[in-house]
Amino acid sequence: MLLQKNIRNFSIIAHIDHGKSTLADRILEVTGVLTDRDKKDQYLDRLELERERGITIKAQSVRIPYKAKDGQTYILNLIDTPGHVDFSYEVSRSLAACEGALLVVDSSQGVEAQTLANVFLALDHNLEIVPVLNKIDLPSADPDRVCQEIEDIIGLAAKNAVRISAKTGLNVDQVLERIITDLPPPHGEENAPLKALIFDSWYDSYQGVVVLFRILDGRVHHGDKIQIFSTKDIFEVTKLGVFSPDAVAVKELGPGEVGFLCASMKELGDAPVGDTITRPDNPVVQPFPGFKTIKPMVFCGLYPVEPSEYEPLKASLEKLHLNDAAFSYEPETSQALGFGFRCGFLGLLHMEIIQERLEREFQAKLIATAPSVVYKVDTIDGKTLEIDNPSKLPEPNAMTALYEPYVRMEVHVPNEFVGAALKLCEEKRGIQKDMRYITATRVIVTYELPFNEIVFDFFDKLKSATRGYASLDYEIIDYRQADLVKLDILINGDPVDAFSTIVHRERSERHGRALALKLKKSIPRQMFEVVIQAAIGRKIIAKERNAPFRKDVIAKCYGGDISRKRKLLEKQKEGKKRMRKMGNVEIPQEAFLAVLKVDVD
Amino acid sequence: MPRFFGEVEALTRPKAPAPNPLDSLALKTGPGEKKLLLYVHVPFCRQKCAYCAFHSQVYNQVTAAWYVKTLVAEIGLWGRRLNRPKAETLYLGGGTPSLLSLADLNRIVSAARQSFDLDRDAEITMEANPDSVGDAGWFASLASLGVNRLSLGVQSLSDEHLARLGRPHSAAQATSALALARRAGLANVGLDLIWGLPGQRLQDWLGQLRTVVKELAPQHLSCYGLTQEEGTPFTRRIQAGELTLPPEDEQARMYVLGAEYLESEGLLHYEISNFARLGFASRHNSGYWEGRDYLGLGPSAVSTLGTRRFANARAMEDYDAAVRQETTGRDFEALDPATLLRERLMLGLRTTRGALLSDYLALTGKALLADKKALIQALRQNGLARVNQGRLRLTKNGMLVSSAIISRILD
Repeated sequence: MLLQKNIRNFSIIAHIDHGKSTLADRILEVTGVLTDRDKKDQYLDRLELERERGITIKAQSVRIPYKAKDGQTYILNLIDTPGHVDFSYEVSRSLAACEGALLVVDSSQGVEAQTLANVFLALDHNLEIVPVLNKIDLPSADPDRVCQEIEDIIGLAAKNAVRISAKTGLNVDQVLERIITDLPPPHGEENAPLKALIFDSWYDSYQGVVVLFRILDGRVHHGDKIQIFSTKDIFEVTKLGVFSPDAVAVKELGPGEVGFLCASMKELGDAPVGDTITRPDNPVVQPFPGFKTIKPMVFCGLYPVEPSEYEPLKASLEKLHLNDAAFSYEPETSQALGFGFRCGFLGLLHMEIIQERLEREFQAKLIATAPSVVYKVDTIDGKTLEIDNPSKLPEPNAMTALYEPYVRMEVHVPNEFVGAALKLCEEKRGIQKDMRYITATRVIVTYELPFNEIVFDFFDKLKSATRGYASLDYEIIDYRQADLVKLDILINGDPVDAFSTIVHRERSERHGRALALKLKKSIPRQMFEVVIQAAIGRKIIAKERNAPFRKDVIAKCYGGDISRKRKLLEKQKEGKKRMRKMGNVEIPQEAFLAVLKVDVD
Repeated sequence: MPRFFGEVEALTRPKAPAPNPLDSLALKTGPGEKKLLLYVHVPFCRQKCAYCAFHSQVYNQVTAAWYVKTLVAEIGLWGRRLNRPKAETLYLGGGTPSLLSLADLNRIVSAARQSFDLDRDAEITMEANPDSVGDAGWFASLASLGVNRLSLGVQSLSDEHLARLGRPHSAAQATSALALARRAGLANVGLDLIWGLPGQRLQDWLGQLRTVVKELAPQHLSCYGLTQEEGTPFTRRIQAGELTLPPEDEQARMYVLGAEYLESEGLLHYEISNFARLGFASRHNSGYWEGRDYLGLGPSAVSTLGTRRFANARAMEDYDAAVRQETTGRDFEALDPATLLRERLMLGLRTTRGALLSDYLALTGKALLADKKALIQALRQNGLARVNQGRLRLTKNGMLVSSAIISRILD
């Protein structure tokens, strides 16, 4: 029987490009889990998109048998985590499944912003951390300086950090030893009721839902009846196993172990990430803490470029949804864009990833409307509505109150950039709640902000204002009443629903002017005058005009020219296929994104 | 209606290897119906103009002799294939037909008369450049060949603009050529002019039109907006910023105000770029725009016979080989009914007569005014088009954006 003292559960925390996936690959090679034959760079990042962007979207795990220098054989469970704030809940669940983590830092680049939130998250979960300096083979490497940085910024002793080159494999063996010596083993109760944490799940068309879990207490066997704590639903384990790295069936798993199970679950909602697995005959009293139902927070409309692609798009969304419970979709109709879907996402990166996957894996050509958060409205007839599409906001006289979601946001920033970070938060209607020094040079600023204000480009702006050194983390806290108005865009007098946005009244005029100007620039001149107006209710607050072009003519068309000229005109028509027609105005796809990129400042 | 091509098989020489591809071809023309239009392409120029992308080569006597011999053979071939059909017009274009000797011109016109039943009152046009015309006697000889319409490539009355365009003549030469033609009794003379030239202003253009109308008094006028043809030296200079075109709005006014002025002087606007005194519109060119059958002879010339469109080879060698092997017209573009209707709409909208609403109905099965209601409404409101007597007509401002309108109508 596997003793808990011979188990180490760990994850790897690293900034993008600092070598997380390469180190994982080396570990798998050194331990013989991955042979040359199955070598495929960055084994853990299975999705094509993950490999390309160098980020991990879904959590993965791999069980690594390792014979240590003390002569004993250990089981290492490497639990990979996603690395972006949109997925912070999933990250926290993955970290919660571990006792320790490797902190990988590029020894020329040093500590970077993105790493910090995850390091602090790991420290919050009481994880032991082994610092690893990567890329020491590079001429620009300066490991001593980076050690000092780790101590100053994170407050982590880094004198004995392992200095490695994941690329060449240098000192990777030492990393393995340090996992054994420095990271604690699990301490589960063998005889307590089964308590296992679900840290990821995905849909497989043959097996149904595959659940990745970590056992805290108790034991699970093939054929057991299990119960999902939050839903109380009972399933029978039809498949139990571990990834090493391929799926290997096992009879049972005990405390501290990591594995997967299948139990004829039909959808991801049957095994929500963060939920607790127990046994119906002997359930736990208290589930593993921290379970949250994750709901999409950002919505946008996705429309096929060609109306005929509606059904294929629907099929693609269905497939994506099977594997991503945080993503939602439902049909909607836009006057401007026709039939499409209102889709919900965790955040902006999640939205971008889904759009990219749709375009890449499903070859769907999309028009996306500007993202929106979910507003709450009290109507005069006493109802409360949730509004995820600005064009659906009731008329002002039909509402008694309008509420918007607020987040509490922590910004970690070096002290020289505190001013820039504060300015940005103030501009975004933020309310400062706290500001404290965690080291002599490192500050955590806490703000409460309207979610709407950070959903568009806050992270990009923060990065550019702090030269990439700030990192942020946020959570939705509540809804607050706000003086918001719907800003409509009219093209030649007709409102275009896909351009509607909800903005704060104080900023509405400025925003309207900027948006009208942006649209003027992104809608090409055409045969007729194009008048773009921004309006709040009946009041026009901005007006831009594109004069019609005056000359588009073929001078000569005699006997020898007819075929060529006809084809020329037909080609012109082809080029316009990607345009959306609103009355007589042709609107290019880019214009629908213009709403997103309005810079009021 | 006799099928002209019914007899082609019998007329094909036995040595012809491939089955004749033209036997299923039926002409839309016939006795009592509309007659054939003949076009002869003369591929020679004195020199290449800086703005021109047309097919032409520098004139030399040897190639000209070869050309004329081949052309005469081609004319004979088509006369036999089509069984000497009736023809209503003969148009010698180019290139520069006036570079050919009178003897060669005589050979060509005679061959055409021999192989085609050319109407007694056929319109016989010849294009000429002011620098390659002869004296009054030369014009008289043309008239005696039957040429009754002269199209003179004047392009501009400004020597500065002519030089920049690479034209090998002066404005004075143009004026004197016109006077000589008149003296020789050629009563139907048309001029070509170009507007929208680099450095040209609205007042220059309108002033030029006044001079043309008052002093040269042509029966016909073609005013072409400068077209930037890819690959010409002129276009390269514009792209490099050496030459600057007038602003779009000024160009638009050149067109609209110019056209209004010409109409006030009795030169009626009948196609995007063409104006004529009553009764002097080009019958040949109007035939193209009405969708009539036309036979193009000479290198690179295009023909449309019924549902087939084909082009001759450009290079003399290939053209000669095709005529010898009687393979001209073998490779063709098949025009289906929808394409023909689309072309009728396109060409119709380029003329002041307009396009027939019934053609749109035939093409789409829908009434244009209902199917494209918003578009037609906007076109009318913005003064770009009118609808009356079952036709959609573009106004002058509409003609200026006709490409955009046509592609929306055909959308």
